[in-house]
Amino acid sequence: MQLTPLQQDAVTELINIAFSRAAASLSELTKCRVDLEVPEVSVHEIDQVSGAISHFVSGDVATVHQVFTGPVAGDAFLLLNFDGAVHLVDLLTDTASTKGTLGAAAREVITEVGNILMNACLGVFGNLLHVRFSFSVPKLSLDDLGFMVQSLVVADDALQHAMVVGARFKMRGSEVTGCLVLVLGISSFELFLKAVEAWADQSLAGDQG
Amino acid sequence: MVKILVVDDSSLARRSTRKILETAGYEVVDAEDGLSALERFYLDRPQVVVLDVTMRNMDGIEVLRRLRDLDKAAKVIIVTADVQTSTREMAETGGACGFVIKPVVARTLLAAVASAVEPEALCS
Repeated sequence: MQLTPLQQDAVTELINIAFSRAAASLSELTKCRVDLEVPEVSVHEIDQVSGAISHFVSGDVATVHQVFTGPVAGDAFLLLNFDGAVHLVDLLTDTASTKGTLGAAAREVITEVGNILMNACLGVFGNLLHVRFSFSVPKLSLDDLGFMVQSLVVADDALQHAMVVGARFKMRGSEVTGCLVLVLGISSFELFLKAVEAWADQSLAGDQG
Repeated sequence: MVKILVVDDSSLARRSTRKILETAGYEVVDAEDGLSALERFYLDRPQVVVLDVTMRNMDGIEVLRRLRDLDKAAKVIIVTADVQTSTREMAETGGACGFVIKPVVARTLLAAVASAVEPEALCS
């Protein structure tokens, strides 16, 4: 799956805006500054997504999954490297009491963080692309990355595309690596790209808002 | 004609910002990263710099610092989607004249540029 240069440029800028908003939400939650690196975006057919994801996270990952519905429908997955997830919980609860594990309370925190980050991100998409999304209740799983990707690939027989967005950010000197994966069916993906192109055209006409 | 340097790693953002500024009668040069921005600033001597924050290798806050090292009177407007209060504070402390949130609204950017080109514009 190859995006045109304009589509790639527009999707990257949209993601940059969306992730910056998500980082600001995270900063408000944790009361500490979030330094975000430029997110990396790529699009793949679903059965080829494994390599792209493993570029950003590996081993045990905390995955928050939300289904989104509307004209553009699909599945959103936020994957955090395990250590990063523990670090986030420590920052949010202002303790180091989790001692490198994620208990029930910590899992609730990560689920809520995932919910806020994905809503911030998809909310920007919705506002700028004029597409309304509704979200399911988020679900957290803690699995090895290989198992998680396998479940993602076999979840649906229909041909699907996955947009993989990798992001690295630093909070209080510690690096957290995360990856947002949006899985869309063919018709949703085409609608998404049409909306992106319309936004790019509007931007090039002199207004991004 | 007032010359403006637009610095953004996104080609779409550079082109859309250029369109806004040229339509308003400004001359525009652009750069896609921090190092190119410093070079263009030195060569073209723009009156105003419109500067993105989240860029590879050298972020906009560092570019701002280096621009102000080159020219203490440099007028820099930060344009970013990063709405953290700390980012705005870093921009202000670094001497930025303006802070515009992405996605850019034309009238907001033009107001910031108009304010920056005023002879009495104060950059901290």
